[in-house]
This record gives sequence, structure tokens and C-alpha cells, in this order.
Amino acid sequence: MLRKRIIFTLIYSQGFFMLSRNFRLQKVGDLNWLERNYKFQKIAVSIDELIVLNATKENKSIKEFANIVSSLVNDVFIPIAAGGGIKSVEDAEILFNNGADKIVLNSLLVENPKMITQLVQKYGSQSIVACIDYKNINGVNEVYIQDGTKKVDMELEDYIRYVVGLDIGEVYLNSIDKDGTGFGYDLETIKRVEKKISVPLIIAGGAGNESHLIEGLSNDGVSAVATANLFNFVGNGLPNARIKVLESGLNIANWNVNN
Amino acid sequence: MNIVIVDYGMGNIKSVVSALKYTGAKNIIVSSDYNKLLSADKLILPGVGAFGQAMLSIKEKNIDKHLQEIVLHKKTPIMGICLGMQLLGSSSTEDGINEGLGFVDGVVRKFSIKNIRVPHVGFNQVKINENSKLYEGFPDEADFYFTHSYRMTSDKSIIQSMCTYENDFVASFEFENIVGTQFHPELSQYNGLNLFKNFLKKF
Repeated sequence: MLRKRIIFTLIYSQGFFMLSRNFRLQKVGDLNWLERNYKFQKIAVSIDELIVLNATKENKSIKEFANIVSSLVNDVFIPIAAGGGIKSVEDAEILFNNGADKIVLNSLLVENPKMITQLVQKYGSQSIVACIDYKNINGVNEVYIQDGTKKVDMELEDYIRYVVGLDIGEVYLNSIDKDGTGFGYDLETIKRVEKKISVPLIIAGGAGNESHLIEGLSNDGVSAVATANLFNFVGNGLPNARIKVLESGLNIANWNVNN
Repeated sequence: MNIVIVDYGMGNIKSVVSALKYTGAKNIIVSSDYNKLLSADKLILPGVGAFGQAMLSIKEKNIDKHLQEIVLHKKTPIMGICLGMQLLGSSSTEDGINEGLGFVDGVVRKFSIKNIRVPHVGFNQVKINENSKLYEGFPDEADFYFTHSYRMTSDKSIIQSMCTYENDFVASFEFENIVGTQFHPELSQYNGLNLFKNFLKKF
């Protein structure tokens, strides 16, 4: 039976890995900090995938970002998805050639749907993760692109339908309101949309501890939970969280996480 | 031992190379050159992307003819991964009907989307064929990482180990010197590394 997944998301900006709260970024540490606090070669068995996002606000450099991705993947044998600022097939190719197994797209979904078709044709749907950032304004879930700065002219459920129609492989559904709060996922919205999505659904935004991961994964339509909280899962945080999720009886792959 | 990764310009080869290195392999070459392919003790056919486009670029570089000679006549062991595995089969319905290399009897079709989410993404268990060499030392069911929308079925005996996602499909086959895995060993943690070791040692 297909297992559910736990995904760790790294948010990168101009040389540093960041903590994001409602999309406001706070510097945490550079690559050395990350390697000290998150030894991916050791703890990779406690996550199923790694997602790396470039949240640099202006002038995102794909080449610089690709170097970061490349240095993260050495001797880590899990899937890596990378994105942030992809504008062309060449940009995607640079990331694939530097160790990305999938790419994550956000603004391009709105700005250049034809390019999405090209990417799907070249790399296949399964290589493409659509990142959807949304926030609730007066009871309506509004969708944003460009790192949460530009509103899209479609409500969330319509937007999901539009994006899935582009033949992408997975949806990464990220609540800007919950982002970095540690208060738990936006289960209300998730429960409303999960059944309407025909591709695997990754939920993000709000996980502060393992019980949130369990709450998220307990929804039938949720294929994977993601967390980007660099402080809450430091050291043995991720291995311990995986053990708790396994103990709760959820169907995730059972590696020997203390190995 | 010379390991040659067949380069037809598609997909992330870096993780395959680094997984093979981790298993202790020394001479890993990425190439589409005939003499390099001929010098291989083991061949790896990787692949991410669309079937039709992959076959086009394989034919453009005459890789199909080279592999026919080297794999079918010289009997050099080859392991296809994901799309690479599917290319070793007879045909695919991706982008119309495309012929594969035809080294094994297997037909590739899209998952039906009725009751399941497509693509099939994540770890899933493989029911290991009792005549398998590839999984020696593994428990009866082992987890591997899959990410694909198309899957192979075969009504011939190609020592297939199966995976279930709505229905059964071929997770791997071991037809004489021709091996294929639908899943990605290079993304499957220790299970994947052990599987590479078995391929290098037992084929």
C-alpha cells in the first residue's frame, strides 16, 4: 500500500536558511549552521523527501541556488524538490542537473502556463510540484504568487482546478496565515479541498510538533505533510517525530530511524 | 569494474552517480559513445521524462543500435530505472503509441485515474519474486520510492516483482541480463543502495 510522506522544507534566501512566519523571513543560519544542526546524511531516514525553496525577494539567481541544492544532496539518497524563481526550461534544467529530482513552481503557473506545458512534456508531470500559497481574507481563501506579494484573480478552489488542469504532478498547499506559527495546519480548508484534488496533496504551513503532523496525515486526502520549522525539529526533532507518527499507526515507511 | 550510465540527455543523473559511488563503485562513466558503452561491465539506463521524446533522442544518437549489440548479443548486464525501465519494454501509450527498445515483453500504459491519485508518488512495497537475485537479503516485502504516471504490465514471465496501486504492476524485472526497476533505487535510502550492490554483484 502506498505510504504517506513526511517532507522537510528548507527556505533559502541570499546565503542563509530562514524561518518564515506569515511569509516574513528571519535569518537562522548558513549552510554550516544547517549541517551542524541538521545532519541530513544521518537524519535522512526520518524524512521521505526534502524540498528547498529560494525565497530571495529580488534578483533570484538560479545558478547560486543550484549550487546550494547541489551541496545539500551529497550522500543523501532521498528525493529533492527545488524551486523559487524558475522562469524557463533552462532554469529547470540547471536545477535538475544539480541534483533536483523535481521542481517546484509558483508564479510561473499564472504568468506562463504555456511554459508549464513545455516542462510537463519534457520532464513528465511527476517531476512538477505546484506550490499554492493562500490566505484567508474575510472568509475567502485568496491565492498569492511572487512570494506572497501578488494576489491572483481566482479563489482557492477555482485556482486548484486551474493548476491541476495544467497536468502538474503534485500540489503543495501552503497556508500563509498558518506559516511559521506552529499552531497546526489549516485543517478546515484542507478538509474542504482534499477530495477535489486528483493528484497527490502535500500540506504545509503551521506544523509545530509531531501531533500536527499526525493530525495532517490522518486526513484521507493528504498524501504528505511538510514542515519548514527549523527550530522545532532541530537535532533529534525529526527522527523523534517520525517515531511518534509511526507509533500512532499511520502508514508511513518504517525505516530504522535511530540507525 | 566499468559502470557506464547511458546518457541520452534526460533526467537527474547526479543522484544515480552518487548512489553508485556510495556502494563502492569506482569507474563510473556517463556517456552515449559506442566505445564507452562497449567497454562497460554494467550499464545503467536512467530516465525521467516522456517516453516518446526519450526514444527520439536515443535513436538520434544511435543508442538503440548500440544497445542491441551490447545488451542482446554481448549480454552486458543493463539496469533501467523508472523511464529507463519502461524504455526496455515493447511499447508505451504515452504521447500516442511509441515503440520501446523491445528487449523485454512489457507494455506501458497510464494509471486509470478513477479511484486513485496519479502520479503514484511515495514509498510502496514490492512483493519480491521468489526467483529474484536483485533482492537477495531483503525481507519479503521492501519499501522503494516510486514517482510515475505510467506503469508496465507483462503477461510473460520476466521474473517480475510486483507492486500494487489499485492494480498490480511491474515494480521490477530480471530477464536474463536485462534488469529494470520502476522505482528509483537512488532515492530509496538503504534499500536502494543494497539493491544497486546486488545488481553490480549478481548480474
